[in-house]
Amino acid sequence: MNKETIKATAWGLSVALVVAALILAGSRNLSHFDAALVGYTFAVLFAAFAITYRYAMWLQRPPTAIYWKRGWQVFFRPRHLALNIVNWFKRVTSEFVLNAFIFRRGRARGGAHSLIMWGCVIATAITFPLTFGWIHFETLPGDLTWYRAYVFGFPAFSFPLESWMAFLIFHGLVWASFLVIAGVMLAMRRRMRDHGAVALQQFGEDFLPLILLFAVSITGLMLTASYTWMKGYAYDFLAILHAITVIFTLLWLPFGKFFHIFQRPAQLGVSFYKDVGAREELALCRRCGQAFTSRLHVEDLIQVEKQLGYKYEMEDGHYQWICPRCRRAMLVLAQGRLWEGPSSTDATEAGVSSVMPQSSFGNPQTDFGPLGEEDRTNFHP
Amino acid sequence: MASTPEESQNIIERFGPHPAYSSGARLQTGIEPDDLVDTHCCFCGQQCGIRLKVKDNEVIGFEPREDFPFNQGMLCPKGVKRYLQGSHPDRLVSAYERDPSAEGGFRPIAYDRAIERVASEIKRIQDAYGPDSFAILSGASLTTEKAYLMGKFARVCLKTANIDYNGRLCMVSAAVGNKKAFGIDRAANPWSDILKTEVVWISGANVAECAPITTNYVWQAREHGAKIIVVDPRITPLARTCDLFLPVKPGRDVALFNGILHLMIENDWLDHDFIEKHTVGFEAVAEHVKEWTPRRTAQVTGISERAIRQAAEWWGEAKTSFLLHARGIEHHSHGVQNVLGAINMVLASGRIGRPYCGYATITGQGNGQGGREHGQKCDQLPGARDISNPEHRAYVAEVWGVQPDDLPGAGVDAYEIIRKADSGEIRGLLSICFNPKVSLPDNNFVTRVLDKLEFFVAIDFFLNETAHHADIILPGSLHEEDEGIVTQIEGRVIKINKAVDPPGDARQDWRIIQDIAHCLGRERGFQFTRPREIFDELRQASRGGIADYSGITYEKIEKQGGVFWPCPDEDHPGTPRLFEEGSWNPIAKGAGPFYFPDGKARFNVAPYTPPAEDVDEDYPIILTTGRVVSQFLSGTQTRRIGPLVDQYPEPLVEMHPHLAERLGIADGDWTTIESRRGDCTLRAHVVSTIRPDTVFIPYHWAGRKSANQLTISAQDPISKIPEYKVCAVRVKRRNGE
Amino acid sequence: MSVPENMEFFIDPARCIGCQACVQACSECDTHKGHSMIHLEYVDRAHSVQTAPVVCMHCDSPTCAEVCPADAIKRTEDGVVQTARKPRCIACNNCVLACPFGVPKMKTDFKLMMKCDMCYDRTSAGKKPMCATVCPSQALFFGTREQIERLRPRSTPNNRFWFGAQTITTKVNMMVPKTAQAQYIDVTAAMSERAIGKEITLNILTDAMYTGEEE
Repeated sequence: MNKETIKATAWGLSVALVVAALILAGSRNLSHFDAALVGYTFAVLFAAFAITYRYAMWLQRPPTAIYWKRGWQVFFRPRHLALNIVNWFKRVTSEFVLNAFIFRRGRARGGAHSLIMWGCVIATAITFPLTFGWIHFETLPGDLTWYRAYVFGFPAFSFPLESWMAFLIFHGLVWASFLVIAGVMLAMRRRMRDHGAVALQQFGEDFLPLILLFAVSITGLMLTASYTWMKGYAYDFLAILHAITVIFTLLWLPFGKFFHIFQRPAQLGVSFYKDVGAREELALCRRCGQAFTSRLHVEDLIQVEKQLGYKYEMEDGHYQWICPRCRRAMLVLAQGRLWEGPSSTDATEAGVSSVMPQSSFGNPQTDFGPLGEEDRTNFHP
Repeated sequence: MASTPEESQNIIERFGPHPAYSSGARLQTGIEPDDLVDTHCCFCGQQCGIRLKVKDNEVIGFEPREDFPFNQGMLCPKGVKRYLQGSHPDRLVSAYERDPSAEGGFRPIAYDRAIERVASEIKRIQDAYGPDSFAILSGASLTTEKAYLMGKFARVCLKTANIDYNGRLCMVSAAVGNKKAFGIDRAANPWSDILKTEVVWISGANVAECAPITTNYVWQAREHGAKIIVVDPRITPLARTCDLFLPVKPGRDVALFNGILHLMIENDWLDHDFIEKHTVGFEAVAEHVKEWTPRRTAQVTGISERAIRQAAEWWGEAKTSFLLHARGIEHHSHGVQNVLGAINMVLASGRIGRPYCGYATITGQGNGQGGREHGQKCDQLPGARDISNPEHRAYVAEVWGVQPDDLPGAGVDAYEIIRKADSGEIRGLLSICFNPKVSLPDNNFVTRVLDKLEFFVAIDFFLNETAHHADIILPGSLHEEDEGIVTQIEGRVIKINKAVDPPGDARQDWRIIQDIAHCLGRERGFQFTRPREIFDELRQASRGGIADYSGITYEKIEKQGGVFWPCPDEDHPGTPRLFEEGSWNPIAKGAGPFYFPDGKARFNVAPYTPPAEDVDEDYPIILTTGRVVSQFLSGTQTRRIGPLVDQYPEPLVEMHPHLAERLGIADGDWTTIESRRGDCTLRAHVVSTIRPDTVFIPYHWAGRKSANQLTISAQDPISKIPEYKVCAVRVKRRNGE
Repeated sequence: MSVPENMEFFIDPARCIGCQACVQACSECDTHKGHSMIHLEYVDRAHSVQTAPVVCMHCDSPTCAEVCPADAIKRTEDGVVQTARKPRCIACNNCVLACPFGVPKMKTDFKLMMKCDMCYDRTSAGKKPMCATVCPSQALFFGTREQIERLRPRSTPNNRFWFGAQTITTKVNMMVPKTAQAQYIDVTAAMSERAIGKEITLNILTDAMYTGEEE
């Protein structure tokens, strides 16, 4: 095992242990723990280990490591901490709560994602605490028509058994599964019809997660249906089936598409990194002299590329200091040179400065522009 | 009564041009089209094959059509985005009547009511001032069936001599030159003859922007070792890497051709056998070009003597060659002479009528070729027949079921129609597929004349700028809403297929024309129920003419991927290459390959004359005009297609840094260009890819951005083409010296 | 579905006429409908009409993917480097800045890098990419090696590029003249190269203006 693996394993084990300890503590030494849920618990413990392991491995990749480090550094810079905190709340709201960027990618896509996400969030918020014994309900002493909820063993709130509140709470998973099923249907519909999606999708990456979510939701609903309307018909079988789907989903979390749930928050770090980049010194292209990104970013990227084993060093300086626009021009000029021979007048001979003319967009208005919207708005005034 | 229209009203808001972008079904990626229709692009003369995707009677996109031999899937940006002209917010979906109080200056009226008004006005004007007082301006983007019908409508229904078409601004110099030299007006070769030729000579043609697909043919020739010679005042994309670039001074092309011929004779780079056997008139031309020494040629054309000699050597020594030219040499007050000069070079080399030996003009409009063959030209009858020739009149009159004497004689050209409207000889006008307010030179004059007309009816699918002055507007059809044939750049007759139905009250143009005929009570001969019937009559009318379509059928076109005319009977495969040794034609009747009674081609002395308006102290700079790749002609369609507007949003005036420096103008400065006829203020585009004595403005825009406010209405005496390519201007920064 | 092995992309920028048919057609593709992925720029419009059409070269070991902190960029079995995977991309811009060819585009409001994927919906179904189908100059060509050899006798495909000390090999080929006998295309050597084409022509222009009188 190399250094990275050892580190990641250690992290994974630690997190799994902490979860186990929390289960013990929250369920008051398993006194509120439902033994029937032991399978779920072990799946969760494995998932905790595996997700942490993968996360740790991921964080140790050079590009991720540097973003991780820089993200925290720039967030906690005293000068901007207050603003950063404000921005943090703003961004969490728009990006994670509202999924604004996904809606911009496509309304149907945004709708599907929001439904699935909120369904999963609700379901997780209900099942995990229940499973771990972190939440349990008891009737009020002396009044069988009232329930009291306990969180981590502490009494939290009470409500009458025959109230819509109770109905909502006890059927929370039903509502969650409705959301998920609707979202999965929308997503599936898109995957079946959209020509672009059809060309690119893979079973394991794109269909399996949807199938799993669907299976978990539908088997859960079947459980409800069984005990509500069918006098518990095939309840045991359904319970096992549901457990299998949930456990498989938990075990799949670290591997496939679901892992994006854990990676995604990195986008916040990136946004603070970009804030700093825009505020501080810009990188000037060595060929055209124009600013094209932050100096910090170029320097970090040079370091990352070196760590990855790339050798983009030129005779004078690093290729990373040339802007993407000039790179494209140079590619074509290099080929043209093979056709036409090197140009007879070079910059110095003509007595002009060594700064080369910047290329201009053939069609700056097509969509988000040849360089990408960001680079145009931020760094190409 | 046409009156000053729009400026005070919200005509632009109401009728556009608004740029349209993909939305709705056109942006969906999960839609299966109801239908895929194989047809062609609606724009230039190359007529690239394209497959339109149709969903719910809307064209929602396209697929490249790789089975059409000419373009094999290739398209320029206009072709790619052409589908956006359908379902357009600016589309005219009802008839309109001028009403200054209405929004946009026009009030929708019932179609039948509009037709009645048109018929009654035609009747009133013709009764009062005679049949010729009502004129027709037509266009070469119409299918050949429609173009044919326009000619017939003018001569048989309205009995007016005054019909002409916008090909007058386009291909006529080449047409006249070709007829004078070869006796026939068609590209002599299919484009496949470019592929393996030794020298490609391109004069006055910005192939990359105006006929983009031809680029691949030229580059393919170069792959096989061809030398590419480009003659142009600007370094066009092809000129950038061509083998020899001759930056000719605008208006001096024939001097160059004469100079080359001089060197060919001097070095005996001649095909004596060919000249002897197949041509007449060489001696006179040889005598004439004696004075065109390289020195003099260089002085007149502004091209270095070294480059001229080099060009002559490559051209002279080549075993095979292909000469292409376009509006650059044709849009001149001596456009025909320019064309004849080019043809003299070809004839002297003997390189025509054989594989990889060719000559062609690059036709501009979609049906530039077909639209100039079947009778919408002022002096022409179907089958490229002559309206002044009694035999021709008799033949066509018989097909049409009228007396030859009832047919009017030759009318006047498009610009002369405008002049006659100015003088009051013409009082009424019907225009279709033509936007003279943008496309004619000195268009401030044109605008004034349009307002003098007693009655003006315009048929169009969008309200073009000329139609702003109309009294009645009739909603016509888009390219994809009708079927019919067109003849493309190579002389290949192809079939346009219908993809969708016209929306609202809009209908196929031939129906509108027939409706007018009915309303006039002269429906005889205008009772066609579908384009195929018009085509069948056209075939008959063209039989035995030079442009003989009688052997072409819709089915044959589909089967063969197009049929090259002449095609005199149904078993005839068509004629891709003209003038082949031993070929038969109805004029020479076997005497030789060319379309004269003796079967021989004509050398024509092509004297050089300077442009009608040369530079002087007051107006010291040459203005030349042209096109950009993303726009087409007067922009009625392309200025309404968002992605194409974005590509080149507004006209720029191109000038060399030396000139700009002298004038104190920097790139992007607002610059005023003034001629004796008008002025125009545009942003400067300072580039070293143009001659320092010349500025260039693309002409696709209307109003204050229109380049044709500046151009001169001088015309070639024979072809009547206006001199768009040269006039004198002065240039200064806006608000300052 | 995958891109047929014998079908390859060949690019010859020397042929490009800058017409933007590729740019317009690119946005018609179903994997990136409405968004144009190809780059087309004037190298130096003030002095030349030379244009630079740049599609993704689809590197054998893509720098963009390596520098991606989110593992969002994948190269499929058939060698096509895909647009960033939507769930993963965190819009950090590393790929945009690191790609030696300057290809990826950052769509900030989507929090997504998008790039040329060789029209995967088309090529994986046996069709040609949009740009190469419509390209009027065939600067962008998609076909078999036999076809390109037959059509372009003067040139030969090359897919090795030098960037300083780094060699990058790509799935997309660039046509280089046979006479140059180039083992690779040295991109960094073009650092102070100026737009091509103008000089020959400018000399003629100068000749025309002055020597015409003197000779």
